[in-house]
Amino acid sequence: MKSTAGIFGRSGRTVVALAALMSIGLVAGHSAEGVSAQGPHAGCSGGSLTVYTDSVRKPAVDAYVTAHPDVCVRVTVWSGDGNGATEGQTDIEKWNTAGSGWANVMFSEQVNDPIWMNQAPFNYGANLNGVISAKVLKNWSKTSLAQCTVAGKLICLQDNLAPEVLWVNTHLMKKFHYKVPHTWQQWAAIGKDVAKHHKGYIIGTLGDSYGGWLFYWANQCHLESLQSNGDLMINGKDKNCTEMTNLLAPLVADGTVVHSSVFDSDFPKTWGKTDKVLMLPGATWYALSILQSTCEIPSGQMTAADPLAWGNNKTVTTGQVGGGPWIISRHDSGSQLALDASFVVWETTQFNPLPLSNPNARPGLPADAAIAKSWLASLNKQKYFSAPPGPAIQKAVGEVWSGWSIVTYSDQPYWSTDVKGGLAQGNSLGSYFSKYVGDLVKAAQAAGYTVKK
Amino acid sequence: MSSISVEATLARGLRHLGRPLRRLRGVPFIVPYLPFLIGLGIVPMIMALELAVTNFDGSWSGLGNFVATFNDYRFMPAAVDVLLYTGIWMAALVVLVVGLALTLHARANKVSAAFRFLFYLPGALAGAASVLVWLFMLSPDVSPWGFILRGVFGLHLFSEVPLPQNLPFIFATIAFWTGAGGWIVVMYGALNTIPHEIEEAAKLDGAGPILIALRLKLPMIQKWIGYMLILTFATGTQVFVEPWLMNIATLQGINPDWSMNQYAYQLAFVYYHFNAAAAVSVDLLLVGLMAAAVIITRTQLFSAD
Amino acid sequence: MDTPAPPTLAGSPPELQVRFTRGARRLLRWSTIGLAIRFAVLVAFALFFIVPIIWLLLAPTKSDNALIFSSPLAFGDFHHVWVALGHLGAWSNDLFRVWMGNSLLYAFGGTGIVLATAIPAGYGLALSRFPGRRLVLSMTLVVMIMPSAALVIPIFLEMNALHLIGNVLSIMLPFGFFPFGVYLAYIYFSTAVPRELLDASRVDGCNELQTFWHVALPLSVPIVALVFFFSFVANWNNYFLPEVVASSSTQDPVQVGLGLLLAVTPSFNPAPGGGAAQLPIHRPELALAIIIAVLPVLLVFLFSQRFLVRGLVQGATKE
Repeated sequence: MKSTAGIFGRSGRTVVALAALMSIGLVAGHSAEGVSAQGPHAGCSGGSLTVYTDSVRKPAVDAYVTAHPDVCVRVTVWSGDGNGATEGQTDIEKWNTAGSGWANVMFSEQVNDPIWMNQAPFNYGANLNGVISAKVLKNWSKTSLAQCTVAGKLICLQDNLAPEVLWVNTHLMKKFHYKVPHTWQQWAAIGKDVAKHHKGYIIGTLGDSYGGWLFYWANQCHLESLQSNGDLMINGKDKNCTEMTNLLAPLVADGTVVHSSVFDSDFPKTWGKTDKVLMLPGATWYALSILQSTCEIPSGQMTAADPLAWGNNKTVTTGQVGGGPWIISRHDSGSQLALDASFVVWETTQFNPLPLSNPNARPGLPADAAIAKSWLASLNKQKYFSAPPGPAIQKAVGEVWSGWSIVTYSDQPYWSTDVKGGLAQGNSLGSYFSKYVGDLVKAAQAAGYTVKK
Repeated sequence: MSSISVEATLARGLRHLGRPLRRLRGVPFIVPYLPFLIGLGIVPMIMALELAVTNFDGSWSGLGNFVATFNDYRFMPAAVDVLLYTGIWMAALVVLVVGLALTLHARANKVSAAFRFLFYLPGALAGAASVLVWLFMLSPDVSPWGFILRGVFGLHLFSEVPLPQNLPFIFATIAFWTGAGGWIVVMYGALNTIPHEIEEAAKLDGAGPILIALRLKLPMIQKWIGYMLILTFATGTQVFVEPWLMNIATLQGINPDWSMNQYAYQLAFVYYHFNAAAAVSVDLLLVGLMAAAVIITRTQLFSAD
Repeated sequence: MDTPAPPTLAGSPPELQVRFTRGARRLLRWSTIGLAIRFAVLVAFALFFIVPIIWLLLAPTKSDNALIFSSPLAFGDFHHVWVALGHLGAWSNDLFRVWMGNSLLYAFGGTGIVLATAIPAGYGLALSRFPGRRLVLSMTLVVMIMPSAALVIPIFLEMNALHLIGNVLSIMLPFGFFPFGVYLAYIYFSTAVPRELLDASRVDGCNELQTFWHVALPLSVPIVALVFFFSFVANWNNYFLPEVVASSSTQDPVQVGLGLLLAVTPSFNPAPGGGAAQLPIHRPELALAIIIAVLPVLLVFLFSQRFLVRGLVQGATKE
């Protein structure tokens, strides 16, 4: 043997020593049973709880832990199935096969999650009727409760209401002499003018994964309508769908409606900081967290305007983007179930005033009407807005179109792949939309629905 | 009978007895390994096969799951995706890896050893890390390749990068970045087996480095290139991490079943169809097995002497 | 064309001298340009492979804004690294540390099992031609050449049937199975350990186990190092298997954790509901997370590169 052993001997010892040091340092450094936001160890006289939360809600969960030092809480951060991810299915399935390990409470960003969680083979969501007191539920709007009700069972409790409003840059609108539009047609007309005289400014984004909700849900296009017999209507050729596509197509071609998303990392640089956002159909929770924090639009410019109507229609319908359902495990009972419920109630009924720099301040309108008023008041007081956005938001709550059902699969990935992806390469919104509808049909069938065109 | 011959006969007899015992000398040493080989190599394959030919309730379904998954609207696109990706990667291997190995070998010295090491270093980031690094590399606003993305490809936003027709190239680039170094080292080692005299003789004949590389060395490592391609084909068709993480990074913006393994994962974990997932797994296993069979039977390199 | 007779080298046949001089002239003409091109090509590829790593190492020294607006390979300052480290640690209460601990456990534990089973197995296969040897060798080869990803979902199904999902064994045991290690050890013990030494030990009265322990094992340090290297790197970088088999994020190794980091942090995967302001995990933090996650393997690479290359060459060629 040559001197390889010698070479290895010297550097090998170093490697082993380093590795040993690292393992001691890191392994000794981590707390026992993983991740916990526990306060001073007071035992678990108040019970124990495993909570799955997304990173946005985590400060609120941490606040519960601090306020309840007698409860042992194990907090796990997960993706919340944002944008249509399927982490939830994987987790619950693993718990089911292992026969243990279910989280007591889960927070989801996906309104679809409670629906499939409630069904076979997942069978995870608990029936909250009778578990959460009627006194609390009284403060939730009928629409909100309806979205969480399947076959008479209340399977989730929404954290916030997220109707869509029209965010407008009143400063720029004044500068360009535009009037705030009340209909989609007026909005499109402004867009046409912007393309001619104020190139570079935008009036909407199509690249968000929920783009379909902002435009097609708002215009009552039947892309996810559960019928009374259980069939799912997906009709992309319905008048409401095609007229919206025809309205959007020239705006997309002109570049006033862009195929980027407010979440794209290049958005602030291109339109946010540079103050190029003239109008933006968007969710309620865009208010501070998206407009100010994510997009970095300068302050004193934006406010919320009423959702747009179609033509001469007297009734205004709008879309919805989210709602943050809390789900409780079906495998809990008795005192554990009561603890779970009290946790969820605490989380949804806590009020923390804006601005967002306040710990645990809510980015979105609370579903609990009792604190919603205070939240709106604090929102209206924010110096970031050019005018109080509260009134438009309040009005929009009652205008969410009820014909768009919540199904077991998410349509968001298909919008991202087909429409956003398509528009990144070409300009034919109509064909991308058709592809989107086609994929929706296939997804629905794969999920077990009978599709009615 | 003298005592010597009794002893001699006894000794001879014991030797005969000892031979079979001697043959078994190696057995105790493989005993700790056998449970792993069987339990984690053979048993999973058998289990997957068993699940693939049965139904949820355990009844026999024959080729039912295979047919159903084959006809599923997600099967073919996923197969095309991985075949395209693997093809591009294999082409890069043949041209670039072999080319670089030959280039390095043309002047073997400390400098070329240093280059070899630099090529090999990204292999440390195999897996999730390399994909995340390349997410940054493909973002026109932060990437050091930004001038190429913007200038050559006209891409100014990250969202313009992972379009469906670009994905096979993107994943092949990541695979190349991570894996080329290792293969270059292997090819280099293969080149080292070529006797020096042949190379010297060619040099004396006046052959330039390129001629030597292409006409002399390249044919002599054909076998190795073949193995590399077969192994790469088998590994490439199993791709999972790259499209999985790209899907997360693009906010579910690419297909969640872009690759075959992702499709199998979806079947198992989103739709709870273990039997269908097993059928797809068996399809992929067969690809791997075929590659293994080809390599083992076509070479004495791996023969059990 | 009549070339003048070149000067003859004393003692060598004229024809050879002519060819030699002509060849030498040709080489001389080629070499400067050729070398330059060769060097340029090698440098270009070296940049391709190394620049991303340099970028990665420099990224935590800058703030997220600086990443965009300053030159990609500029150096920021060390202060930002501490800030990023703090953010990473504060995120999810040290979950990142848990992941690193898991990775160390799985990688070292799995590799430990590999060394304990594969080295003796290679030795045993090389030692004698016992019945079934061919079968074991063939099965090892087959499983070794087959990509490990093909077995992940089948292994999940098996672990599921054995009710091991949720147990760290479901990750450690597959990590302890490394047929390539067995094959390498087999090649090594077949070729590099002289039979005479083993026989001498037996004549001295040692039984098989003692022979292995006292004679073969000390000679096998290079192969142990090689198998350790490959097994450790493969286990550390494995994503698919732990992702499928781990039942909660606290069981994830750091590779899967990086994916989770990507998925949950608002900067990369903003949630409907916003909140990017509240959780400062941005690109420098993710870059730092990547660096920490690859540090062990990078160190192992750096320290073992010398004998690794030699070993790879040795293992790859069997005379």
